[in-house]
Amino acid sequence: MTGSLFVQSIGFGLVTASILALASVGFTLQFGVSNILNLAYGDLMTASAFAGYAVNQAGGSIAESLVAGAGFGALASALLNRYLYRRFVRHGTKLFGMVVVTLAVGIIVQNILLAAYGATFFSYSFSTGGQVHILGMVLDKFQLVIIAVSVAAMAAVQLLLTRTRLGKAMRATAANPGLAQASGIGTEQVTDLAWLMSGALCGLAGVVLVLNTSAFQSTTGNDFLVVIVAAAMLGGVGRPTGAMLASVVLGVVTEVAARFITPSFKEVIAFGVLVVVLLFRPTGIFGQGATVKEVPT
Amino acid sequence: MSAAFVYYTTTILVYLGVDILAVWSLNLQYGVTGIYNFAWIMFQAVGAYTAGVLTLGPDTSNGGFQQYILGVRLPEPLPVLVAGAVAGVVALVVGMVALRRLRTDYQAMVMLVISVIAVLLVENVTGLFNGPAGLSLVPQPYGSLPLSSLGYQWFYVALTAVICLVVYLFVHRVTSSPLGRALRATRDNEDAAQALGKDVVQLRLFAFVFGGVVAGISGAVLILFIGAWSPGSWAYVETLVVLTAVIVGGTGNNAGVMLGALLVPVAFNEATRFIPQFGRPGLVDALQWIVIGLLALVFLWFWPRGIIPERRRRFPAGPGRATQAAEPSEVT
Amino acid sequence: MSAAAAGARQPAADGKDFLIADGLRREFGGVRACADATFGIRRGAITSLIGPNGAGKSTVVGIVGGAIAPSAGRIVFDGSDITAMPPHDRARIGLVRTYQLSSEFGRLTVLENLLVAAPSQRGERMRTLLLGKRYWRTQERELLDQARSLLDRFALSHMQDEYAGNLSGGQKRLLEIMRALMCQPKLLLLDEPMAGVNPTLARSIEGYLAGLAGEGLTMLLVEHELGLVERLSESVIVMAQGKVIATGTMPELRARPEVLHAYLVG
Repeated sequence: MTGSLFVQSIGFGLVTASILALASVGFTLQFGVSNILNLAYGDLMTASAFAGYAVNQAGGSIAESLVAGAGFGALASALLNRYLYRRFVRHGTKLFGMVVVTLAVGIIVQNILLAAYGATFFSYSFSTGGQVHILGMVLDKFQLVIIAVSVAAMAAVQLLLTRTRLGKAMRATAANPGLAQASGIGTEQVTDLAWLMSGALCGLAGVVLVLNTSAFQSTTGNDFLVVIVAAAMLGGVGRPTGAMLASVVLGVVTEVAARFITPSFKEVIAFGVLVVVLLFRPTGIFGQGATVKEVPT
Repeated sequence: MSAAFVYYTTTILVYLGVDILAVWSLNLQYGVTGIYNFAWIMFQAVGAYTAGVLTLGPDTSNGGFQQYILGVRLPEPLPVLVAGAVAGVVALVVGMVALRRLRTDYQAMVMLVISVIAVLLVENVTGLFNGPAGLSLVPQPYGSLPLSSLGYQWFYVALTAVICLVVYLFVHRVTSSPLGRALRATRDNEDAAQALGKDVVQLRLFAFVFGGVVAGISGAVLILFIGAWSPGSWAYVETLVVLTAVIVGGTGNNAGVMLGALLVPVAFNEATRFIPQFGRPGLVDALQWIVIGLLALVFLWFWPRGIIPERRRRFPAGPGRATQAAEPSEVT
Repeated sequence: MSAAAAGARQPAADGKDFLIADGLRREFGGVRACADATFGIRRGAITSLIGPNGAGKSTVVGIVGGAIAPSAGRIVFDGSDITAMPPHDRARIGLVRTYQLSSEFGRLTVLENLLVAAPSQRGERMRTLLLGKRYWRTQERELLDQARSLLDRFALSHMQDEYAGNLSGGQKRLLEIMRALMCQPKLLLLDEPMAGVNPTLARSIEGYLAGLAGEGLTMLLVEHELGLVERLSESVIVMAQGKVIATGTMPELRARPEVLHAYLVG
């Protein structure tokens, strides 16, 4: 009994990890490039999920919903950074002030969704596609799709960051914005593109999240926020590979723990991890030497 | 004046009193000492729950539909005092663990997550404070007085006012003294304060605990008035409302934040009560939150120091410097 | 006691030296910032610490002030070994340092900056909460008098109610020194007080320091400008590459080849 339950929970853990990986890589990219803890991230995920929902209700397939979500997320995030966050930073708002800004934005987004859609629950209409048995785990087909999408996106992100000039420019800007600018990198455009990219991940994560939960509402994305931050911080801020690994760890551990301890404490584990990481090892398990730099202009 | 109007006004006054306690508390921690306490609401909750279980009596009473710890019926004013003390103790524990030399946004994040964990714990460990349903049927303090319903309302307003006055005495003592000055120095430049010999850790902990006590008292006053308290009352975003009040009113200024308390949680929330409920249920609430968020953004942009910012403290000069007294006058 | 470098003055064991640094050593990530620094500072005089960049002067000041822990060696101040003493306790016993970078309290007024600098204030204790103004009123008056006379002396009385964050760079320098003086120091460590200061202000700071020395305040001054060093100091310590290579008066040092060599080669 326990053996198969254990394996099954690992299966669920991998699904959660996939969603978490998409979300946390996007989050950590934003943080790495702009040094902003974007607490509106979860709400942007929800908004993207609603965008995908609109497409889905209009008859679109899952793939089309994913694209819609990613596109919405990309655009919304990039605009948010360019016309709001960056302006506040240039204005002189420091780290804590930016937390309040992002939190306020998140509340605004969440409540716009609430005002527009009401407090009811929504679901995408799609066929789950039947179940698949792999390695002792039983998963729905769409869950495999989620894992596949996540893996593909992670691979694309890795390739982009390591093999392309843009990726290198992003990494340089994240490491040392002043130096990057002095070396001739157009840090503003690079930042815009970074937010487009991470926003797309945010959108994908939002759609994928609500596909996996049977019903969603205006608060669903935000409920997921703390786990996302936990994965990002655990993996080392601004380090996508770290976030991916941390997502696998957190995703699997929380699911397994949920089966064997009470499910309600599943989140508490992740949150506890985050607190411990922030207090004792803010550079994350895999990171090193994070400087206490102010938000770069 | 119709009875309903009086009822409404007295209720608003009590809420105002509670919010004033709230902003003084957070102002002391954030405005004066520079502590990014995003878990503020948790301490109000500690005070509320404590006062509740000390007033409700054993949980088997009232049909036994609630379960909670303790459950005694202490005479007034003990529940309020104990509530403050317990909140202070919790603040001490949390402060010793979680107040560190961290980037300010990380510090805020740590506090926020602690606040979230606390809500989750209380929701899931039902035996503590009756889980998601929360405490209800909390009896009114001094309920045995021969007062009419409206009379009791005014009585409670007076009670709240007295509590505010007493708390203010202590808050003012701190902010207008060299201790307050040391706290502000810690806020402005922690390293320099340390180099001057100020025990920065102890100072910060003091502000955190004292603020926690006041927060707890505010929670006690609130639960004893409303008669109920549940996790819904203290989601982590509620801290943002108080923080917005502090920012809007005037960070670091006791009088300024009172204005913030009047404007943000009270006037603003209540003004929307007079707007007829339109659209689907919950729409007006959603709009309220949107406006709070916008308010925070607008003020952070234009007036980050608030409407009535921290006042410059001047010291009147004595005529003959060697002998004449020159007492610092606090201009809040 | 470690062997002193040739020509360096042996710290007197008879206690004549107010402060003794003995065999100080400190590395930073494999780089030896300070190796075997040994010197003594006489009471009531200005001693200067000079040397080319990277000689280890800031490290030494950091160790003496308590911000940096030495990996070896000890500090003896006024007869007691204070090597393990944290910086704020050193301030309390009279060993005070100033900093190169501005470290004022921006949202406090100049006068408040001075008041807060005074050590052991009753009004700063937590019992103020319970005891109120009566408890600290008298001491506050005394501190106000002290602060106001300092402001007079340094000609900044007109700025007393200005926010310290709004001061000019030079004024912040003066504030830094005044703040250190509020601690009623017995030994003042001045880490490049003239750095980046315009010549006129530098002259007046020099005057203030000379005045303070005249009143018997012991000072250790880290400084680059050798003319100033010569005018102000009774004794000079030269460091290079983390070691004390010579001590004496400026004329004595000028004649020493190793000193010239250190400055040329760095």
